[in-house]
Amino acid sequence: MTRSFLSIRAVRKTFGAFVAVHDVTIEVPRGEFLTFLGPSGSGKSTTLYAIAGFQDPTSGDVLLEDKSLLAVPSHKRNIGMVFQRYTLFPNLSVAENVAFPLSVRRRPDAEVKRKVADMLALVRLENFADRHPGALSGGQQQRVALARALAYDPPILLMDEPLSALDKKLRQEIQAEIRRIHRETGVTILYVTHDQEEALHLSDRIALFKEGRIEQIGTGEDLYVRPASEFVAGFIGNSNFLPAEHLETAAGAATVRLADGSIVTGLTAAEAFSKGQKVRLMVRPEALSLAPGPASAALAVDIVDTAFFGDRRRVLARTASGDEIDVRPTSDTIDPAGAAAGSGQRIYFDPASAFLFPA
Amino acid sequence: MLLDYDRLGWLRVALVGFTAAVAAFLLLPVVFIVLLSFGSSRWLAFPPPGWTLKWYEQLFADPTWIDAALTSARIAAMSAVLAVVIGLFASFALVRGEFRGRQLLRGLLLTPMVLPVVVFAIAIYAFFLRIGLAGTTIGFVIAHTILALPFAIIPITAALEGFDKSIEDAAIVCGASPLQARLRITLPSIRIGIFSAAIFSFLASWDEVVVAIFMASPTLQTLPVKIWGSLRADLSPVVAAASSLLVGLTLCLMIVTALLRRKLSR
Amino acid sequence: MQGSSLRRGSIAGLTAGSGSALPALLLVGLFFIVPVVALLLRSVTDPEPGLQNYAALFGSGTYVRVFLNTFLVAAVVTAVTILVAFPVAWMLAIMPPAYGSIVFGIIILSMWTNLLTRTYAWMVLLQRTGVINRTLMGLGIIQEPLPLINNLAGVTIGMVYIMLPFMILPLVGTLRAIDPMTLRAAALCGASPFQAFRRILLPLSLPGIAAGGLMVFVMSLGYFVTPALLGGTSNMMLAEMIAQTVQSLLNWGLGSAAAFVLLVITMALYALQLRLVGARRTGGGL
Ligand SMILES: Nc1ncnc2c1ncn2[C@@H]1O[C@H](COP(=O)(O)OP(=O)(O)O)[C@@H](O)[C@H]1O
Ligand SMILES: [Mg+2]
Repeated sequence: MTRSFLSIRAVRKTFGAFVAVHDVTIEVPRGEFLTFLGPSGSGKSTTLYAIAGFQDPTSGDVLLEDKSLLAVPSHKRNIGMVFQRYTLFPNLSVAENVAFPLSVRRRPDAEVKRKVADMLALVRLENFADRHPGALSGGQQQRVALARALAYDPPILLMDEPLSALDKKLRQEIQAEIRRIHRETGVTILYVTHDQEEALHLSDRIALFKEGRIEQIGTGEDLYVRPASEFVAGFIGNSNFLPAEHLETAAGAATVRLADGSIVTGLTAAEAFSKGQKVRLMVRPEALSLAPGPASAALAVDIVDTAFFGDRRRVLARTASGDEIDVRPTSDTIDPAGAAAGSGQRIYFDPASAFLFPA
Repeated sequence: MLLDYDRLGWLRVALVGFTAAVAAFLLLPVVFIVLLSFGSSRWLAFPPPGWTLKWYEQLFADPTWIDAALTSARIAAMSAVLAVVIGLFASFALVRGEFRGRQLLRGLLLTPMVLPVVVFAIAIYAFFLRIGLAGTTIGFVIAHTILALPFAIIPITAALEGFDKSIEDAAIVCGASPLQARLRITLPSIRIGIFSAAIFSFLASWDEVVVAIFMASPTLQTLPVKIWGSLRADLSPVVAAASSLLVGLTLCLMIVTALLRRKLSR
Repeated sequence: MQGSSLRRGSIAGLTAGSGSALPALLLVGLFFIVPVVALLLRSVTDPEPGLQNYAALFGSGTYVRVFLNTFLVAAVVTAVTILVAFPVAWMLAIMPPAYGSIVFGIIILSMWTNLLTRTYAWMVLLQRTGVINRTLMGLGIIQEPLPLINNLAGVTIGMVYIMLPFMILPLVGTLRAIDPMTLRAAALCGASPFQAFRRILLPLSLPGIAAGGLMVFVMSLGYFVTPALLGGTSNMMLAEMIAQTVQSLLNWGLGSAAAFVLLVITMALYALQLRLVGARRTGGGL
């Protein structure tokens, strides 16, 4: 395990004075499904392009099994890629598209034929071999692109928002296929998306990008349960933010005063705060409930609106200081009696599940 | 990567070099003729032994050159106006009309651009001989309007297709008459197309040689016919002077076009 | 035009909105269709009814040679134009606009400059004692002046010069419509620049090359001025022959027959070109 697989080392990319990627460093073990998640323009594609060789990084290095890729032209990097836009060769049929990487490598005809059949079976498009890309739906085109990218058994597969042009249902369908293909082939996948649900669904690890830097990297659960910053908390899952004032921190548990004057204690602080510092308290909607738990803190609120969705209930509450709070009690905490709209009610949460971030 | 300018490597050096060479090839005759017109050699030696304005003096001293230029300007202006007006009306039918044979009509109106000019030239010449229009200004204008018509219709229909008809309808809903709506809303919106149509139609007539060679009479000569005659006789440097003035005119037209386009598209 | 679009009759439905095309239709009908048809009729009636003009045209070695030469020149001009135009269009499609607009400016200047002016310049440049021959001799590349004018070389240079913009400008459009990502995908698939060119870029540009090439070929077939001034008497082209037959020999029947042949070939190729362009349009996403 001393030998690393794919290393992205301090990769930096500038366009004129604008820094698109700030010294990004990631180690990717073999076989991992790593997702670059982040808002549009945060440098995900640019990082991916440095690996693919479409753009030279301004500084830094990309190594595959300890050998730098930077001096290797794209066509010799042996990397697979599926793009956001449809990039099938419109002059070639589906089978010819999948055969293309093999035929430019001058593989024998019999092998090409067998491999094309295998790949089309892998993406379940055996019956479309002779079609031209123009006669395929968007989802089918991306599956062919996937087959083409995997045909030459590349050690790494790059995917740049491959599903963003598809509708939601199709997206979920192909997500399932990508998971299956990752399982079956064991290929290392670097996947780019701006959709947090997609990232959570697919990835072993997520690197969350913000303005050209990696804000946090870890499993989906890490990012959800232990967000390193307000940005991470806001980007992954749903969250409520309440302005507060830090009073003291003792033995890792912080105490704050909320805008309506109430005191909450036993909170997890992301960093050390000084006394009187303005902070923001984050609590997930599903961590809130309408009934008190064993160690819960309480907030005095008016219930503005409630909606029932069968398996869950959504409640919109407002504090005395006017902050709105989204409450989504999980099924075991649904309390029909407390769900009526009206003033002078209370909602509860476990302080250990809430976080404090600097304001 | 073949379509990424930054990633072409040595191929880019070769292709840019080739492009520069072709640009030089395209520029060569134009620059050459202007330089030549100031050269003092009667035999067009280059580089010339000295510099002179005498060819321009000869040009302006010869009333047949001036006449020919004025005739050309007159015919080109009339043809351009006719072609733009008729082409504008036709374009409305071609873009907005809903009738059978619309594509056929478009094809028909554009045919004069495709048919070899020499065929049209002898056809219209024979026809005008019979009805007595050969060698007349009217005959010239009619023939040139037909040749210019496609150059008017193409930019105007393109502009009209890019114009959202519902804007015109909105004006009518606001109380404008259909004619008012067209004059005050539609025409100003497609003015770039109309302007291009005017330039192209003017050039189509101004530069036209083949029909003109047949139609010209000793008393009615356009500039291209005059140049043609001189070229067949000898390669006098006076032609270079006349040609340089034409290059100057082209440059002026290009600059005016660029400026007007910038102004109109604002 | 206003009224007819509001009328709701079966006849109005067939002609709705066509009224404003009437002036153009009259003009073209009366002064284009009628004269051309009259000319074509003349080819079978002048000097007497019959096909003798066509028999003369195809029976004479001289005229057949003119046909062959016309096709030869048009083919050579088209081939050279495509070869020269493609790299230029390629660069123009992807160059930074600051440089590209200079080249576009030069192309427009050359295209808008009077045809005779350009041809005149080439006549002077290509003469035995012209700049090109002198430069080459001065550099010691050749000892004797090359025959560059009044022959195939002269016509080719002059015509390629004129046709280049007509090939470059539409090709730029074709190349710009190709997604650069497709070529990146090809590179990542392992295709060397040469393989990507031969197997992807070239096939994808082929519709543009074919349409532009056909247009250049058609235009070259009927070209008059440049071949007349830069070509030699031994390789006369069809348009010049037609003009001469009518103007100098006053043989209207034979001239009309030759004009008819030129018309048929041109229109057939034009229809083919429309089909190519049309197929590309309806092919849409392809
Ligand atoms: N070729 C380029 N020239 C200038 N700026 C660029 C270029 N490519 C990307 N950028 C800028 O770099 C930033 C990151 O882009 P990108 O990596 O595409 O973001 P993402 O893929 O995360 O949406 C964006 O602000 C974008 O505008
Ligand atoms: Mg992106």
